[in-house]
Amino acid sequence: MEYLYGIIIIIGLYVILATSFNLIIGYGGLVSIAHPVFFALGAYTSAVLSRDFGAPVLLAMLAGTLVALLASIALALPSLRVSGDYLLIASIGFQLGILEVIKNVRFTGGPGGFTNIPPFLIREFGRESYVVLVLAVMVAVILLVWWISRSDYGRAMSAMRDDELAFSSIGRDAMWMKIAIFGLGSGIAGLAGSLYAHYFRFIAPEQFEILQSSVILTMVVVGGLRTTWGPVVGALLLQALPQAISFLHLPPSVLGPIQGILFTGLVLVFMFFRPQGLVPAKEVWRAVQRPTGKAGENR
Amino acid sequence: MAGVLEVRDLSKSFDGIVVASHIDLTLKSGSIVGLIGPNGAGKTSLFNLISGVVKFDSGTVLLDGSPLDRLKFHQRVRGGLSRTWQHTRLFPSLPVIDNLLIATHDYPGERLVNVLFGRRRLKAHDSVARDKAVGILGKMGLANVADDLVSDLPYGQQKLVGVARALMGDAKCLLLDEPMAGVEGQAYAAMQRVVREVAESGVAVCVVEHNIAFIRDLCDEGVFMFSGAIMARGSVAELIRDPQLTELYFGH
Repeated sequence: MEYLYGIIIIIGLYVILATSFNLIIGYGGLVSIAHPVFFALGAYTSAVLSRDFGAPVLLAMLAGTLVALLASIALALPSLRVSGDYLLIASIGFQLGILEVIKNVRFTGGPGGFTNIPPFLIREFGRESYVVLVLAVMVAVILLVWWISRSDYGRAMSAMRDDELAFSSIGRDAMWMKIAIFGLGSGIAGLAGSLYAHYFRFIAPEQFEILQSSVILTMVVVGGLRTTWGPVVGALLLQALPQAISFLHLPPSVLGPIQGILFTGLVLVFMFFRPQGLVPAKEVWRAVQRPTGKAGENR
Repeated sequence: MAGVLEVRDLSKSFDGIVVASHIDLTLKSGSIVGLIGPNGAGKTSLFNLISGVVKFDSGTVLLDGSPLDRLKFHQRVRGGLSRTWQHTRLFPSLPVIDNLLIATHDYPGERLVNVLFGRRRLKAHDSVARDKAVGILGKMGLANVADDLVSDLPYGQQKLVGVARALMGDAKCLLLDEPMAGVEGQAYAAMQRVVREVAESGVAVCVVEHNIAFIRDLCDEGVFMFSGAIMARGSVAELIRDPQLTELYFGH
């Protein structure tokens, strides 16, 4: 059972990561590859605070989320002031740089990783309770992103993606919207990181490498950008795939590269034959509830 | 009387190519100024400089007496300076009504905080904005297409939606970039009526337009631009009669 719980939690966390990344790249139209490093910032902050500073785990998790959120704003603010394209370049530097720092300072455990992270809920209520916690957060994140995309904010995000100059011409501030989207999405990644740390109780830099970024991106693209269920389907599928390969009993040295090739191949296949992903997005923005009247008759 | 919008000694050049040279322009409340001149004269560039799409090199722009120079595009719009685009630039993923709802000067849905914690404020704004949008669309004869996608409308109606969107923000000054290009039939008459009504409500209007009949019928003053400079001002009828300007307009 423990094995199964581990898989469920990993899938749940990837759904959270993919859904929050969908907010950033799908709804916000912001290209970043730094999602794994915000995941790492959440994990490390929460782990260090709870193990070495005696902070209650719940508080440490909150701090992990907050650190990821603030770090993302610090990254987005200068780059988005110039232009949206600079965020990608800045995010590459940020992803590589922060991970390098984590590897080279002592309080993170360095390249060997950070061990003995205090568990949460498991001792008192069993592993099942943690599964419930992760799934509850997952559902909350899916609902949150769904809600935002269908709210007045979603309308604004749609318009901003359509035409940013026109968006400015009606008095809207695209820059702050992008910063808010990026901050929220990255903060959620931080939360996922803290949830990861207190279940598996061991974190190491290689778990947050740049390759993770392509995994998350693949989940969103294969699942379907700008849809509620796309990232969920994508995360499920791409987590099931490695599990399926592991039954082939290939040596570990081959397994990693094969996964990489498979993921890249999958993205290419989808780009050619189904760019809209498994769950295609609607071209037209829709509110949570349509106004009454003749709305929708023409569609 | 001081104008709503004052452009003083405005200049701009790109790598030596002058797009605006010592431009002075005053737009007064309730009056319509027509900006005419051949293609490449710098009319749209002037709109871009005034609205903040492009930064100018020297000079100043005042809206109600306060300088706009340091404000960004969207801040100038919020301050009451609105503009439309030659090629509409509507939001294709939104229905007509939503193109308008998003364009009020204080759209609260722009802030994530409001969306998460300010439901009441959003609702209140939405009902006010919806009434306003329906009113504006009604005046333009677009009430029956409010829920259509903008891309499903004929081009003339799309241009009207562009003006309608610009009117949602309670502008004091409205810059219209070729509102009549591609507009004919009913939409033509509607556009003419709407622009006149907007001016009568006290808005200072400036129109860039190649449709001379439209300019002549509508504008209180004409301004003739050529290679980034203002060559002549006066009534539109006078400008049209001037043989020198006609030659500049049609080329040699």
